[in-house]
Amino acid sequence: MSVLAYGYAVWAPLIWIVVLVVIGVMVLIWRNRGQKSYKKGTAQTDIFLSGVRVPPEGQRHVKSENIYWGFFEALKRLYSGMMKPHTGIVNDYILWLVAVLAIAILILAVSG
Amino acid sequence: MNLKVFNRALWVYHLNTGSCNGCDIEILAVFTPRYDVERFGIKLVGSPRHADVLLVTGPVGRSMEDSVKRIYAQVPDPKVVMAVGNCGAEGDVFYEAYSLVGPIDQIIPVDVYVPGCPPRPEAIIHGVVMAWAKLEKLVKQPARQAMAGGEVA
Repeated sequence: MSVLAYGYAVWAPLIWIVVLVVIGVMVLIWRNRGQKSYKKGTAQTDIFLSGVRVPPEGQRHVKSENIYWGFFEALKRLYSGMMKPHTGIVNDYILWLVAVLAIAILILAVSG
Repeated sequence: MNLKVFNRALWVYHLNTGSCNGCDIEILAVFTPRYDVERFGIKLVGSPRHADVLLVTGPVGRSMEDSVKRIYAQVPDPKVVMAVGNCGAEGDVFYEAYSLVGPIDQIIPVDVYVPGCPPRPEAIIHGVVMAWAKLEKLVKQPARQAMAGGEVA
C-alpha cells in the first residue's frame, strides 16, 4: 500500500475503502432496524405528499416554467412593462425602428 | 401502567384539518420545557409513514376529506387516532356547517378523544398516554376493528 504524506495529512486509499465499507455496513444495519410493518401494495408504501394525491409514475413532471417561477416573479414588473410594446404586429415594430433611428440621427446631428 | 409490547418511542403525526390553531398551539406547548414530552421519546414527525399515532385537530373541511383518508391510510399498523379539541371530537360551534364533513370520526375511526377548546396540555398528555396504552393492546391483537368505539381522555 502506498501512502501519500504531504505534511499535514495522510492519503491512503486502503484506509478510505475500509472506512467506506464500515460506514456502508453501519447504514445497512441501521436500515434493517427500521419499520417493518408496512403493507406492500397499500397506501402505506405510497409517496407522502402532504396528503395530496400523487400522480402515477411517468406523470410526475417538473415543468420548466416551475423552475423559472422565481425568476418570472422577481422580474414581473419588467415583463409586464415589456409585454405592452410587443404587440406582435409588424407595423408597430417598424414604427419603433423608425422612431429609434430618428432619435439616433438627431443625437448624432446635434453632437456633430 | 406497564408497557411491555410496544416498547419503543412513540412518534406522532399532527394533522390540522381546519383548526383555528388553538389546539395546535397547545400541542406545541406539550413539547416546551415546561411539559417536555420528548424526554419520554414522544415526538412529532413530518410524515404519517413514520408515525404510530395520528393526532387530528379541526372539524374537517370538505376539501380535507380525501387528504384525511389518505394520510390515515399511510400510517403503518398498528396505529391509533387521537382527536384533539372539541371541533375534531364533535364539531363544536361549527357543528353541521355546510363546509364541513366532520367531525373526525365520520371520516376515520378515532381511538382517543381529548375534549376542550382548546384542551390543556395536561389533557393532551393524558390522551397520548391512553393512546399508548391502546397501541399496546393493538400490538397484541393486530387485527384492528374498524370504527371501534373510542375512549375519552
